[in-house]
Amino acid sequence: MNLDINVSDKDSTAVVALAGEIDAFTAPQLKEQLLPLTKESGKVVEVNLENVNYMDSTGLGVFVSALKSTKENNSELKLVQLQDRVMRLFEITGLTDIINIDSTVRGGS
Amino acid sequence: MDFQSCVNINKEWDIVGARQIGRDFARKIGFGTVDQARIATAISELARNIYLYAGTGKICFETIEEIDRKGLVILAVDDGPGIAEISKVMEDGYSTSGGLGAGLPGVKRLMDEFDIISEQEKGTEIKAVKWVR
Amino acid sequence: MSTLNMDLSNYRDLLKQYIRTQDETALYQAEQFSKLSMQQNISPEEIINVHIQALQELYPELPEGIKSSMNFLLEAMISYGLAYQEFQSLREQQLALKSEISVAASMQQTLLTTVKPEVEGLDIGAISIPANQMNGDYHHFVQNDDNKLGIAIADVIGKGIPAALAMSMIKYSMDSIPENRMDPSNILESLNRVVERNVDPSMFITMFYGLYDPSNEKFYYSSAGHEPGFYYNAAEDKFEEIEARGVVLGVTRDTEYRQYERKVNAGDMIIMLTDGVTECRQGDRFIEPEEVLDVIKSYMHLPAQKLVEQVYKHFERLQDFHLRDDFTLIILRKEV
Repeated sequence: MNLDINVSDKDSTAVVALAGEIDAFTAPQLKEQLLPLTKESGKVVEVNLENVNYMDSTGLGVFVSALKSTKENNSELKLVQLQDRVMRLFEITGLTDIINIDSTVRGGS
Repeated sequence: MDFQSCVNINKEWDIVGARQIGRDFARKIGFGTVDQARIATAISELARNIYLYAGTGKICFETIEEIDRKGLVILAVDDGPGIAEISKVMEDGYSTSGGLGAGLPGVKRLMDEFDIISEQEKGTEIKAVKWVR
Repeated sequence: MSTLNMDLSNYRDLLKQYIRTQDETALYQAEQFSKLSMQQNISPEEIINVHIQALQELYPELPEGIKSSMNFLLEAMISYGLAYQEFQSLREQQLALKSEISVAASMQQTLLTTVKPEVEGLDIGAISIPANQMNGDYHHFVQNDDNKLGIAIADVIGKGIPAALAMSMIKYSMDSIPENRMDPSNILESLNRVVERNVDPSMFITMFYGLYDPSNEKFYYSSAGHEPGFYYNAAEDKFEEIEARGVVLGVTRDTEYRQYERKVNAGDMIIMLTDGVTECRQGDRFIEPEEVLDVIKSYMHLPAQKLVEQVYKHFERLQDFHLRDDFTLIILRKEV
């Protein structure tokens, strides 16, 4: 399974739209694209997970390192439109308490 | 040391020239068809390395004769950036130009003796020898 | 040199035979020849060279153009020969690596060995099977002098060697926590500090820690973002998810973990697991948590150890005997 990563980076906001599965194989690509964005001070990085139907703990690891990077670089990470299955993973791991997740709009079917 | 000849490597086309001269040397020394082809391939790899990583340099050929054997010495010399981690470059599967079998480990396999001296920011000198069997 | 010559005359004879008869036998022998050549590390350009020589012996009047074309072919095969040699050497290295990893795996086995304790009034079952050689799941039993039983179950993000290294770190940290500080929340708080300081930012560990006190029949527990387990209430014949909130280990520095407690009645079960159990896939479909409970239910009449083994066998079969993730399941049952 693949992961499509689409970054539209303008001014102070970067929107990262993902589609596919985030697992041990695709997580490194995501990390490579996501981390540099969080290194810019003042940047808001919004990750749209509407079309991500599967994520494993390796994927969580990418978001955790992105979160740590935002704290070091004074930028912001925001996750939007998570599907239920992916949302559950953030809830179980308690990461919903420390990552800015907009769960009002759910992704997927 | 009998005779020496050098080819400057400045552009990709010079690789062909180096191969040609190297092959002529090899034939004169008495290498067979297979070894001629191997020597030419080794020259290609060395010359391409110079062209890709150092920009310019030269490939020199020498015949050597000992009491009981004859051989060809290939010297590849450049004053490019040098190789930071030689052991890494010599690792199988490491090749930066891509593809199995390419790169310096390939040269080492094609030749009988192989040595690199490299200093960062100063350049690289590779010496490879093949003996007539 | 002599072996190659022998091969040359052999090859020439075979070639001659084939040209004359177009016989399948000669082709079969050519196949044998190519296998033998590979075993003896003879590269393709040498075989082509042998072919050229054989041709010249068979047809002394060979047209110049054919000869040149054969030399052209020889040149074209050089890189294949090199690639084959490199492949051979990489294969040897892979074998060496494999045996190194299996040594490491058995070291890890020894290091993480935990003895399932005997606790009066408790029936305990535990199983932990790695998906690959190294196990990224961890479970450990600690029996204190005052007869309390501590159970840790943890999952390191990722698999393989990095996970195993992190696991060893957890194991040593746990061993160094003083016995009077063995409350679940304390343990998670101190492990969190260790993990936060010592591992890569993208790495974290989930852990559930439970402590059973036989003197008051209470179960105390805290969770650091671990896959929730289940509680079986025997009186009502019902399973419920064990709710315990807490962030995974290693993400924030001074995390506090809430400790929960509950009274354990006769026949009740505490089920602890890792996501290798709940994230089983049947083909492309993920199983639902209810399915895990249904399977547990169907083997519930068995002793706890038999029970966990049967549940494992069920899911192993469901996934065509190929685990995608490390699988750990622990069940405690309060005896009637």
